[in-house]
Amino acid sequence: MFNETSKGDVEMKKLIAATAMIATGLSVGAAKAEDSVFVGHLMDITGATGFIGKFYADGVRDALSYIKENGGIEGTPLEFESVDYAYKVPQAIANYKKWRSRNNMVAMQGWGTGDTEALISFVAKDEVPVYSASYSGHLTDPTGKNPKTAKPAPYNFFYGASYSDACRAMVQWAAKDWKDKGGEGKPVFSHIGDNHPYPNAPKEACAEYATELGFEVTSPVVVSMKPGDFKAQCLTMKEAGTDYGYLGNLGPSVVSLVKSCGTVGVDPTWLANIWAGDYETLKTIGDVDNYIFPVMTSFWTDEGVPGMDLVREISKESDKSGKEFRTHHYIRGICSVYYMKEAMEWAKENGGITGANIKQGMYARTDWVPKGLEGVCMPATWTAEDHRGINTVNIYSGEAHDGSVKVTKLETVTLPRRDDWLGY
Amino acid sequence: MAGFSMRPCGDFRTTYRQDTRIFDTTFVRYAAVFGVVATALMPFVLDGYYVNLFIQISYFAIAALGLNILVGFTGQISLGHAAFFGFGAFASAWINNHTGIPVLLSIPLAGLLTAAVGLLFGLPAARIKGLYLAIATLAAQFILEDFFARADWFTGGSSGAAANPVNVFGYEVVDDFSFFYVCLFFLVIMYVLGSNLMRSRDGRAFVAVRDHYLSAEIMGINLTKYRLLSFAVSSFYAGIGGALYGHYLGFVSAEGFTILLSIQFLGMIIIGGLGSVKGALMGTVFMVLLPEVMETGVSALSIFDWANSTAVTDGLAYIKEMAIGLAIILFLIFEPDGLAHRWQQIRAYWKLYPFSY
Repeated sequence: MFNETSKGDVEMKKLIAATAMIATGLSVGAAKAEDSVFVGHLMDITGATGFIGKFYADGVRDALSYIKENGGIEGTPLEFESVDYAYKVPQAIANYKKWRSRNNMVAMQGWGTGDTEALISFVAKDEVPVYSASYSGHLTDPTGKNPKTAKPAPYNFFYGASYSDACRAMVQWAAKDWKDKGGEGKPVFSHIGDNHPYPNAPKEACAEYATELGFEVTSPVVVSMKPGDFKAQCLTMKEAGTDYGYLGNLGPSVVSLVKSCGTVGVDPTWLANIWAGDYETLKTIGDVDNYIFPVMTSFWTDEGVPGMDLVREISKESDKSGKEFRTHHYIRGICSVYYMKEAMEWAKENGGITGANIKQGMYARTDWVPKGLEGVCMPATWTAEDHRGINTVNIYSGEAHDGSVKVTKLETVTLPRRDDWLGY
Repeated sequence: MAGFSMRPCGDFRTTYRQDTRIFDTTFVRYAAVFGVVATALMPFVLDGYYVNLFIQISYFAIAALGLNILVGFTGQISLGHAAFFGFGAFASAWINNHTGIPVLLSIPLAGLLTAAVGLLFGLPAARIKGLYLAIATLAAQFILEDFFARADWFTGGSSGAAANPVNVFGYEVVDDFSFFYVCLFFLVIMYVLGSNLMRSRDGRAFVAVRDHYLSAEIMGINLTKYRLLSFAVSSFYAGIGGALYGHYLGFVSAEGFTILLSIQFLGMIIIGGLGSVKGALMGTVFMVLLPEVMETGVSALSIFDWANSTAVTDGLAYIKEMAIGLAIILFLIFEPDGLAHRWQQIRAYWKLYPFSY
């Protein structure tokens, strides 16, 4: 038994190797194949934003491993590592530095406001394009053209409309909705969210546009990011006569707010930001009408969308049965990876896959959709001076009653690329 | 805290001068100097990942020492240390951006500004103690966090503030390699200052306030003055640490200076050893490296085939988070006096070998 290498022996050797690596603090990822490219993936599945982060992270991870198994970047093997940083900024920085110094990372898939903003300077200096799921408007001004931009973010990209643009689109829809409903006087708009960078991101921008469109804008209603009893805030809205309330938070906080307001009979039209608008959230709220939210991709249940075949294939990476329901956050994760992939392919043909070339790859085409994802991702355009990839917003309306959720498409709003909206 | 107020037998001094030396013996002095020199040579040998970890340890350790002066030495409590850390980051960026004062100067200035803010929020300490004080300092955390999100003129609100890189005689410190030395410089200065403070009249007054405030007052120590001074010194350290953090990232966002970080600072000094200067450093090293070691452990498992499925990776991510918590709990049970105490015991063991008692 001992003169042949049994399976147990191999396992034991691996175990010893693993222990040795822990002991010496070496990273396993350091041993990478020759001429492959490495992409880092920061995700939050256990931390403060894990509720929603998990859906998006699964999309990114499945897409990366699908590409890895299916030819890489035009034949160049793709290596990647997904690390859960639990929304802790120091861990995000340490992982970034590790990938940078050991794996020669060329691009990164990031997650929230915390990690994205902490890394802005580093990625610009190291020329590593970052594709995040933080849609803050101030990441869209790569050259600092708008004097309001505190810190230009030349290497930051995201797939989707910024929080500000999504809110503007919903406000534009709301203005029309108000007229259609035959509303009299000025409709009242309120921003509802925690006093925190993520809900605050579109606050001023959206309020400005609402005023421009003839809304009366109340002072913002502060609602904690943590769930609680928000009846007091609901009554504030009742007093202010809010007709349209923008929900800046996400997950449990939004659920308890909408529920609290339902109890005290405050029932404005909710305009949710993208992370607060999905099937799961609506189902948890349980009983709501008029829940408006923006969507940047097709839905899992959509029929006749050519690109959905690829999405379903990718989904099988983590769900062999192909039965699991995927939210549109998952699909947005896939789009984010595929835009990066095509930019990497362009880079390969134009001087090699480096961060700087990938950035140029993002600018190479206009109104483009990654191959195979037609109808799933929306046509996007990035330019060297304007990182607002998407200026079109699909507006959906959701309602939930007795455990069943109905989502209908209302309108597609295309916003002008106004200069004064850049990076804001 | 018995370890700090009592000395083991055989450890005696014959003059007051001996009693207040920074380094107990000549050997320790050389060891400390050697340690600094060895650390300074580190970036030549180790890669960027380690350099980054050292930088993280530096700015957190400076802030942790501040908290240890307040909690470990003066016996007060603060749940708002992260807010002061954040204030230092914003203050330094703001001073540098608005007045053009070079970054190297704006860092200590930010420390002073933070000290003033700490003094303000330390005022309740003049009247209340213990849990009540803890809640009063919790207010500092919330007020400052809200301030960061609102004060556009100071922090840039939700879009954050840009912080320029450190500039030394026209040379811009933009890479980790050079920033490492800026951090090392501040770390050594702040720790030497901290050790010195504890030898001074003020430092001994802090300890007296902690050990028995009534006796201290009877002996002529102005309690209010020293409690407030302790808050100021503590915030000064937090401000310096925060400023380094801000200039390292190049961008300060209101995100991240949460109560969680405040608790983490408390964790650092409890694990390292309350009332010990080197304990603050040891605790920080522990807290910064623990998640990294766990992470390495998790990714080392990926050479097994069974560990490569999504379900297992996700499970490991949860286990990793739990293990960090577990390690801290076990540590507190088996080493309540902190790493500094354990270190002392290890040293004593070798010093007295084979006749340890």
